[in-house]
Amino acid sequence: MTAGRLARLEQAFRVACGELGHCAAAWLFVREVAEALGDAGVEGLRDELGRSYPVLDAVARRWFEGHRAPHVQPEGVVAACAGAARVLVVGLEAAHLDALVPLLPPDVRLGLVRSGSLEADWERVLANFGGRVEGADLGDFQRWAGARSALLTFAYGVHDGQAHVSPAWVRVSGPDVRAQFRALIAWDVLRAPTYVHPRWLVAVPLEDFSHVVGP
Amino acid sequence: MRPEQAIAATVLVGALVLQAARPQRRMLVVMIGAGLSALTTALAGLGTAADLLADVPWDVLVILAALGLLTQVFVASRLFGVLAATAARRSGADPRRLLALFAGVMFVVSGLANNLTALLLVLPVLLTLLKLLGVDRRYLAWTLGVLLVACNLGGAASPIGDFPAILLLGRGSMRFDAYLAAALPPTAVALVVIVGLTLLVVRPARGLPDDPVARRVSVAVMDALHREVRLDRRLFAWPAAALAVMLLAWVVAPRESGLTPELIAWLGVGAALAAVPALGERLIRTRVDVEAALFLLALFVMVAAVRRTGVFQDVATGLAALPMPPVAQLVVFLLMAGLLTGVFSAGPSMAALLDVAESLATRLPPHAVYVGLALSVCAGSSLFLTAATAGPMAQAITERAGLRDQDGAPLRFGFSEFLPVGLVSFAVIQATAIGWALLAVARG
Repeated sequence: MTAGRLARLEQAFRVACGELGHCAAAWLFVREVAEALGDAGVEGLRDELGRSYPVLDAVARRWFEGHRAPHVQPEGVVAACAGAARVLVVGLEAAHLDALVPLLPPDVRLGLVRSGSLEADWERVLANFGGRVEGADLGDFQRWAGARSALLTFAYGVHDGQAHVSPAWVRVSGPDVRAQFRALIAWDVLRAPTYVHPRWLVAVPLEDFSHVVGP
Repeated sequence: MRPEQAIAATVLVGALVLQAARPQRRMLVVMIGAGLSALTTALAGLGTAADLLADVPWDVLVILAALGLLTQVFVASRLFGVLAATAARRSGADPRRLLALFAGVMFVVSGLANNLTALLLVLPVLLTLLKLLGVDRRYLAWTLGVLLVACNLGGAASPIGDFPAILLLGRGSMRFDAYLAAALPPTAVALVVIVGLTLLVVRPARGLPDDPVARRVSVAVMDALHREVRLDRRLFAWPAAALAVMLLAWVVAPRESGLTPELIAWLGVGAALAAVPALGERLIRTRVDVEAALFLLALFVMVAAVRRTGVFQDVATGLAALPMPPVAQLVVFLLMAGLLTGVFSAGPSMAALLDVAESLATRLPPHAVYVGLALSVCAGSSLFLTAATAGPMAQAITERAGLRDQDGAPLRFGFSEFLPVGLVSFAVIQATAIGWALLAVARG
C-alpha cells in the first residue's frame, strides 16, 4: 500500500470510528479492502494501521481466521437489561446498537452518552435510530440513574479478569455510580483479545460489571 | 451636497464600512448607525424616528422571517441531511461529480429555502466525505468556493431565495413569476459556466490521485453513517404543501386583490406551523432569526434617512446626466452595484441601490434594471469570502471539521483560498448580469 493511500484510509478510518465505533469501522474497512484488493490488501491495512488501531488489528486477524462479519448477538444484553426502564449506553458500536435497539421493549428509555475520543456528528449518529435513542451528556448522565436503570458499554476483548472499554466508561463508572444503577453491563463486541497495545481503550476489572455478555 | 445629506450619507457609509471591517461588532455598529441617522433627520426637520420606521419595508422582514421558519420545519424533517447524503452517494465519491452535484443541489435548495440554514446542514456532510476521500487544499478551496457561489446564484434565481430578490418582490418592483422567468435562466447559465470552467479549465481534482479503494471505502462509510437517516415524511409533507400553495398564490394572485406576497408568506407559513403545533410553537419562540431581522431593520432606517435627504435622487440624477446613452448608464450602474456589494455585502448594497434602480427603471425596461441589479448583487456577493454571510460561516465550519491533506497538514478555507474562485465567479456572473440586461433592453 502506498503512503498516500494509507494516509487517506487512516483519515477515513478515524471518521468511521468516531461515528460507527472501532469494531464496526474495522469490519467495514476490512471487508471493503478485501473486496477491492483481496487478502493482501487486508494484510497491508493491518501492517500499517493495526499498530495504531488495535481493534482493526484484531478484526483483521479474525478475518484471516475465516470470520466474515462481526459477532452480533444481542439476546444476552436484552436479558441483562430485563426489568430496566432506562438504558444508558456509554461508547458506540453502530452494528451492535442497531441490533439491540429494536429488541428492547418500546417503553424502555434509551440514551447514548455523547462522548468519544474521536470527533463525531452526534446528531447524525442519533438520527440513525429514528428518535428511539436520546443523546445524553457526561455532565448529566446521573439523571438516568435509578433502581430501574442499566448502564451498558462495549468491551473489546475480555480476558485475564479485565475488559478493554471506551475511556468514557471510566468517567461514569466510579464506585458512587455503581450503586445508582441496577445493572452495569459489558458487551464484548470483539470476542478476541487485542494483540497490540490497546490505544484508545482502557482496561477495567470485570468486577466493575454486574453482567458481562459475550465472551 | 447639503450638510444633512453629507451627515446622513456619512453615517450610512461609515456604518457599512465599519460593519464590514469589524463583522464581530456589526450589530452594534448598524444599530448605533440607525440611531444617528434618525437623529440627523430629526434635527434637519426631515422626519422623526417614527417616520423612518414607517418607511421600513416591513413586508420584506415578514417574508424573510416566515421563510426562515419554513426552512426550520424542513430542517426538522431531516431534508437537508438526506439530500446531502444522497448527493454524496450518487457522486460515487468521484471528486468531479461531487463538485457538480453539490453545486446543483445547493443551487436548487437556495432558491427555495434559507441558504444559510441549508449550508449549515449540507456542508458537514460534504466535509465528512472530503475527509473520507482525503483531498488537497486546491480541491477543497474550489469545491467549497463553487458551493458558496451556487448558493448565491440559487438565491438570486428565485424571488424567495435571498434578500435582494425578496426586496424586489416585497416592494412590488417585480411580480413573482416575472422575476422567476427572468432570473432563473441567466443564473442557471452562470452556474453551468462556472462549474464547467472549474471542471474543464481549472481542474481542481487533477492533483488528487485516482484511488478506487479510497472511493469505494468512502462510499461505504457514507452509507454506514447515514444507514437509517430517513426523511420524516410527516414533517416534510406540511411545509412542502404549504410552499407549493404559496408558490401558486405568488404566481396567480393579483397584488390588487390584497393577497400581497408577505400576506401569502404569513398565511402559508402559519398554516404549515399550525399543522405541527408543538414544533411550530417551539420554532416561533426560538428559531426566528432576530439578528438578521434587526440588522436589516437598522439598514432600512439608515437608507430611509439618506433617502429623505435626497441623496439617492441626486445620485440617480447624476447617473442620468452622465454623457452616455441610458444603456451605458445601466452598465455603469450594474458594475457599481457588483463592486459595492463585494465590499459592503448584499443587504446594504441592495437596500441603498434600489432607489437609484427605480429611477433608471423609468427610462429603461424595469425588468432589465431590477434583474440586472439582483444578478450584479449576486456577482458582488461571490467576489470575496466576506461579501456574503455564508462565507465566514463556511470558513468556521471547515475549520471545525479539521481536514488534513495526505501529509497531515491542516487544510484551510479562508479569504485567500476563496479569492481565485471569487474572481472567476464575479467575472462570469457580472458579465451574465450585464449581458442579460442588455439583451432585455434590446428586446424591450
